[in-house]
Amino acid sequence: MSEDMGLIVKTTARATIPLIGIFGAYIVSHGHLTPGGGFQGGATIAGAGVLFLIAFGLSEAKKRYDHHVYSALESLGGLVFLGIAMLGFSVAFFYNILWRNGIAFAGKPGTLLSAGYLPIMNLAVGLKVFAGLISAMMAVATYRRWKE
Amino acid sequence: MKRTLGALSLLFILGVLLIVASPNYGLKFGLGGKDWQAHRYTDQYYIEHGVEEVGGTNIVTDIVFDYRGYDTIGEATVLFTAIAGAIALLRPWRRDENE
Repeated sequence: MSEDMGLIVKTTARATIPLIGIFGAYIVSHGHLTPGGGFQGGATIAGAGVLFLIAFGLSEAKKRYDHHVYSALESLGGLVFLGIAMLGFSVAFFYNILWRNGIAFAGKPGTLLSAGYLPIMNLAVGLKVFAGLISAMMAVATYRRWKE
Repeated sequence: MKRTLGALSLLFILGVLLIVASPNYGLKFGLGGKDWQAHRYTDQYYIEHGVEEVGGTNIVTDIVFDYRGYDTIGEATVLFTAIAGAIALLRPWRRDENE
């Protein structure tokens, strides 16, 4: 029994995985303007990874997955999140100093470069959720206890 | 009979809770006075001041990442802990090699 799911599923997955990734990136980067945000967009991008795993099989996914890279990405997301929260520590934890003092990302509300630290935090949380869900998926797929 | 009584008492307790928790005539916790609702229910404040204070037009993101940022830190920590626990439980243990 082969691991992948056949030609039709593989071709469809090749076409849809980039679209799912682009849609997830849109949800993450527009988190402060439209419904969605880091958690939802990260889960959407991780859905593309799940589709890759079930369409192409475990051995193909193992070639493209390095758990050192994903653990570093998740740590980076969490650290960026905490670091951005510490930026306004002179006033309070989670003080949006970039927006209130007009330092960066301080455009008109409704444009992409607005809302202070919100876009950076959305990117960090999206990265963290994506890397974490992919790691959990690969752990469940790799460490299975039953035989073929 | 017993099941009917149990279901009826559950319904009664639910109705009492609905009446007690109603903001119009129920129990009032916290600050008293006329602006009790303004102190207790903050949603109108977020809708009116969110865009000006935080900048995002998506009020939910404003609340999640600014007003309730500690909650989001906890959420990220819960995600990290869940994945760490799942990997720690699923990885092969030493006793499995003998099976």
